[in-house]
Amino acid sequence: MALVEIRNITKSFRKGEETIIPLDNVSLDIHEGEFVSLMGPSGTGKSTLLNLVSGIDRPTSGQLVVGGVEITGLSRSKLADWRAANLGYIFQTHNLIPVLTAYENVELPTLLLKISAAERRQRVRVALEAVGLTDRAHHYPRQLSGGQEQRVGIARAIVAHPKIVVADEPTGSLDSETSEQIQILLERLNRELGITLLMVTHDSELSRMARRQLHLDRGKIKELASENQPVSVSAGGA
Amino acid sequence: MLLPWEYGVRNLMRRPLRTLMTLFALTTVITLVFVVVGFLRGMERSLSISGDEQVAWVFSMLAEENIETSAIEASIPSLLTSSIGSTFNRFDVDYVSPELFLGTRVTLPNQKSGFGLVRGVTVTAPLVHRKVQLVSGSWPQKNEILVGRLAGTKLGSHDGLLKVGDVIEFEGASWTVSGHFQADGSLYEAELWCRLEDFQMATKRQDISLVALQVKTPSAMSEVQLFCKERIDLELTSISESEYYAELREFFQPLRTLAWVVVWLVAAAGVFTGLNMMYGAVAGRGREIATLQAIGYRRRAIVISVLQEGLLLAAAASLVAGVLALVLIDGWAVRFTMSAFRLRIDGEAIVVGCLIGLLVGVLGAVPPALRSLRVDVATGLKAI
Repeated sequence: MALVEIRNITKSFRKGEETIIPLDNVSLDIHEGEFVSLMGPSGTGKSTLLNLVSGIDRPTSGQLVVGGVEITGLSRSKLADWRAANLGYIFQTHNLIPVLTAYENVELPTLLLKISAAERRQRVRVALEAVGLTDRAHHYPRQLSGGQEQRVGIARAIVAHPKIVVADEPTGSLDSETSEQIQILLERLNRELGITLLMVTHDSELSRMARRQLHLDRGKIKELASENQPVSVSAGGA
Repeated sequence: MLLPWEYGVRNLMRRPLRTLMTLFALTTVITLVFVVVGFLRGMERSLSISGDEQVAWVFSMLAEENIETSAIEASIPSLLTSSIGSTFNRFDVDYVSPELFLGTRVTLPNQKSGFGLVRGVTVTAPLVHRKVQLVSGSWPQKNEILVGRLAGTKLGSHDGLLKVGDVIEFEGASWTVSGHFQADGSLYEAELWCRLEDFQMATKRQDISLVALQVKTPSAMSEVQLFCKERIDLELTSISESEYYAELREFFQPLRTLAWVVVWLVAAAGVFTGLNMMYGAVAGRGREIATLQAIGYRRRAIVISVLQEGLLLAAAASLVAGVLALVLIDGWAVRFTMSAFRLRIDGEAIVVGCLIGLLVGVLGAVPPALRSLRVDVATGLKAI
C-alpha cells in the first residue's frame, strides 16, 4: 500500500471570468522511503499538488489518502493536527520565525507532539546534528547564511519524524554552491534516514538526485525516470 | 497547543520604537482613565463619608434643602433641646450645633479672591460633626478662622497661603487663621469655620441657617421630623445628614454617567491605538503566520498569540499608569461646585483602571488577529 494515494484529483479555481484547472484528474502513488521530484513549467500546478498533499489546500474533487488517512475530509483543525504529526514542510524561502533562535525554530513542531521535554531536546539536538548546525543552535535567523537558514528549515521539517516531507523548490533562493550542499543533504536524509520526500523543483540537477522524477504539465503528470518498479502514475483523461 | 510565550514577547521587540510609542500612548490613555475613575471614587467617598446617620439638620422649610438660603430664628436650638428627648447629651452638654452657613467671596493674603464656604459655629460643632479634628493651631477666637484641609483648593489657591497667622478677608472683615482641621475626607474639609457670633456680626444677621443635632440612635430621627411637622408655625423641616448626602449623590448621578462616558471614550481612543499597532505588526507577518499553520499550529493558537502580544503591551501600560496614578494622582485635590475633594486611587480604582487597560489590549488585538487568518495558508506562504 502506498504512503500517499492520490486518486483522480482535480483542482480548479476561478480567476475573473476564466476557470483555471492546474490539476486535472491526477492520480499518483508515492511509497514510503521514496524521493520523488516533481518538475514542470511555472504555473502548471506543481505547488498546488504539493499543497494538496500537505493538507494546506483542498482539491475540487478526488481522493487523497496519506498514511491511511483520507485527508480531504478532515476539518481545518484536524488537518492542522494531522500536519503536526505527519508532515514536514521545507519552504523555498526558508520561512524561519525571525524572533526565534535556530534551536527554537526547530523545536516549534515538537511542541505540538505529546512527548516529554527530554525527548524534545533530544530530537532537536539530533535534527540539528543531521543538518550540521549544532554550533549555530542559538543563533537567530538574521545571524545565519541563506544555506544555514535552509538547513534549519530542513531540521525543522524532519524533527517531528513526519511520514512525509514536502519541499517546495528548496534551493530556489540559494546560490549554486549552497544549492549543491542542500541537494546532498536531502539525498542523504532520504538514503540514511529513509525519509519520504516529495520535492517540487525547477532545478534539473536537483531533480536528477531524486530516485523518481515526475513531470507535470497542463494538469497532467508524466513519469520521467524511476529506480523502483512498479510505479503507479496515471493522468486521468490521458 | 499554544505558541511559545517567548514568541509573543519577542514579537513586541521587533519594532521597538513603534512598541514604545504604543506603550506611551496606551499609558497616557490608561492614566486618563485613572484620573476619571479617581475623580469618581474621590467624589463618591467624600459624599458617602460626609453623612452621619445620627445627625439631623433642622432648617427653614422655605430653603428647599439649599442650606445657604435657609434662615431660622436663633432661639430654635434651645427649643429643639427642650422638645426632643432623644438629643444626645453627655456631661450635661447637649450635642446641638447652631450654624450660619454661607458661600461668600474671600480675599486671600495674596489679594486674589475665591468663592469660599464659611460656617459660623459654636464650640459644640465638633461634638456634632464627629469627624472634624483640629490638626494644628487652636480653636478660633474673635475674628479668627479655622481652615479646612481642602479650603485652599476650594478657594482656587494652594494651602500654603492659609498658614496660621495669615489674614484673609470676607464679609467686610479681616480674619486671622488660627488653625487647621480635617474631617476624614468629608466635604467639611473645604470650609472655613469661625465663631457664630463673629460671623453674624460680619453679615449683620441675627438668625442662623440651620441646627445640626446629634440624636441617640438613628431611629430617633423620626422624633425630630415629628417636631418639625407639629410646629408648623416655625416653618421648619429636617433631614438626616446621611440622607442629605445620599440625595446629593443622586443629584450628581448624571455627572457620574458623563464621567463613565468619558472613560469609555478615552478607552476607545486606546483601542484605536492598539488596533493601529497590532494591524501594523500582523500585516507584515502574513508568511510567518501561514508557516506556523503549515507546521501544524491551529488558528486558535495564532489568535491567542496575537492577543497575548496586545495584552502584554496593555498590561505593561496598565502597570506604568497604575504607578503614575498612585504616585501623582492619588490625593490630588480638586475644586468642585459645592466643595472640594481629593482624587482617590484605591484598590477598586486600580482594579477598574487595569481591567479597562487590559480590555483595551484585547479589543485592539482581536481584529488584527482575525484578519491575519483571513488569508488562506497556501496564499500566505507566498506573501512577501
